[in-house]
Amino acid sequence: MLSVRDLTVSVGPATAPVDIVAGVSFGLAKGEILGLVGESGCGKSMTSLAVMGLLPQPGPRVRVGEVLLEGCDVTQLQPWQRVEAGHGRMAMIFQEPMTSLNPVRRIGDQIAEAVRVHEGISGAAALSRACELLELVRMPDPRMQLSAYPHQLSGGQRQRVMIAIALACRPQVLVADEPTTALDVTIQVQILGLLRELCNRLDMAILFITHDMGVVAQLADRVAVMYAGRIVETAAVDELFGKPRHHYTRGLMDCMPSRNSGARRLPTISGQPPVPGTVAAGCVFALRCAAVRDVCRVATPPRMEVSRGHEVLCAFPLGGGELP
Amino acid sequence: MSGDVILDVRDIMVSFSARRAGRKYRVQAVDGASLSLAEGEVLGIVGESGCGKTTLGRTIVGLVRPDSGTIRFNGADMIGAGSSSLREMRLKVRMVFQDPNASLNPRRAIGDSVAEAGDISGFFKTRAERSAAIAATLTAVGLNPAFADRYPYELSGGQRQRVGIARAILPTPSIIIADEPVSALDVSVQAQVLNLMMDLRDQLRLSMLFISHDLGVIGQISSRVAVMYMGRIVEHARTRTVLDQPLHPYTRALVAAIPKPDPSKRILGAIEMGEPPSLFTRPRGCAYAPRCPLASDRCFVEVPNLRSAGTDGRTIACHNV
Repeated sequence: MLSVRDLTVSVGPATAPVDIVAGVSFGLAKGEILGLVGESGCGKSMTSLAVMGLLPQPGPRVRVGEVLLEGCDVTQLQPWQRVEAGHGRMAMIFQEPMTSLNPVRRIGDQIAEAVRVHEGISGAAALSRACELLELVRMPDPRMQLSAYPHQLSGGQRQRVMIAIALACRPQVLVADEPTTALDVTIQVQILGLLRELCNRLDMAILFITHDMGVVAQLADRVAVMYAGRIVETAAVDELFGKPRHHYTRGLMDCMPSRNSGARRLPTISGQPPVPGTVAAGCVFALRCAAVRDVCRVATPPRMEVSRGHEVLCAFPLGGGELP
Repeated sequence: MSGDVILDVRDIMVSFSARRAGRKYRVQAVDGASLSLAEGEVLGIVGESGCGKTTLGRTIVGLVRPDSGTIRFNGADMIGAGSSSLREMRLKVRMVFQDPNASLNPRRAIGDSVAEAGDISGFFKTRAERSAAIAATLTAVGLNPAFADRYPYELSGGQRQRVGIARAILPTPSIIIADEPVSALDVSVQAQVLNLMMDLRDQLRLSMLFISHDLGVIGQISSRVAVMYMGRIVEHARTRTVLDQPLHPYTRALVAAIPKPDPSKRILGAIEMGEPPSLFTRPRGCAYAPRCPLASDRCFVEVPNLRSAGTDGRTIACHNV
């Protein structure tokens, strides 16, 4: 349903662009949750903003590539055209709900505003739809909460309100950028459960962006691992966690404390991610890779399909699979 | 591995006044917490936002004054101490903060930040001694000694947190209070910093109070853990015991809610555990009762006290387990 092809987001002058997202491609099917995972600065948020057409202006821009929502390239549309042309069927939720909500307006009005824009109904009808949406996101006591202000709600409830607003346009694709990172774990587990339920009930696809491998394992159907602006590995979630093939994916999993409980020392990935634009040739992970070979430093690694639906950007993936 | 008790904290009460909707409230941030720390031991304090774990840590280093309670360092009272002995004790009890960007002065060179406590206490006799101490400390935390002349903006997040640790171990501390020291870091960097803290614990025989919301991190570094909920310690035991057989209903929920990096162990959908009450409207009895599946009538009127439960020194505050 959503297809991202060769998406490249650049900053800097047109004559010397620096690619902060470089050739990212993925697809998202109906009712599927794709986890896009990576560390800070890897380009995962920029990818999500580019998909939504929300890149800050002036600043980063889509230099190459397309984002096809049911065959229509949304990167070519202005925001108002997206709503008018009925291509506004994507919605986004963010990490910090407090900064996304207007602190001096009742939440019922804020949800109803989104309903008015997308459904052309107003007044009591919009408010009653807002109440339905609050029920949908399992807000306790939805009718009462319509008249609450954001500061009267807890962090988890605010994120439920944000999800309700996002659902007002009946999205086919929901882009969720670290929606549970600011929440406590006992609240996080409830919000993740809600997203899974909504995905199944509404047949909605979710692009879930996170830095947390644990959250991805809990929620996603498929996973794309990003590093330095590139997707380095994509696979179904069981396959990725059972048999990671990229050295970076493996390193990320190994250094999680919860996978090592009792170990004397944690395995680490040495060094830091490269500054965008500084890797001129070869693999972006070569500097930190434990299994690096000479060729990795000069030749761009191939994108290999090691098994059905499992792609890895590495010349020498874990567990063999070198080009025949 | 652990020796004598080096820090003993008893019945700490901390409250703040707050104003909300025109009314004045007293918010009880820490409600009678007690703990002790042995030499060379790491005690984890885990809890969710607002549970009082940070306030407790800040009280121990003297950044917050408690309403009542005692804090003894090597047997000497820290709260009532005179200024000269207090100054000496504070050199021994040091803090590592969560956000290295906020806790380092952007306009001071790294070396000056690292040496600050030593400078204030007149620890260094000569300039050469001071530079040597800075270089040795930076080396100890895995940084190039040349960083002494650099500024925070030139460093990555992980490097800045190493500086945060360096300034807490010069000159020679006995206890480190680490408040979420790895929460702001990416997981690959987090592992490096955790390894560093474990090395320092062993090399310098440091005792640590390791405050975190992340039970995975606590499980890695601490031998015992205290679980806090709304200002009170609800369970206190060896870390392995807490992770493998949590007893208090809140600890059970907390352990169950950790997102495990294993897609075959999914917990979603089954868990509906409510939200913590507001600090302004603390329940009369057990603070966890409104969310607790085991709550009985007694829980809503009577606050459970910590009592011993089972072997190996586990204590728990619950009427029903």
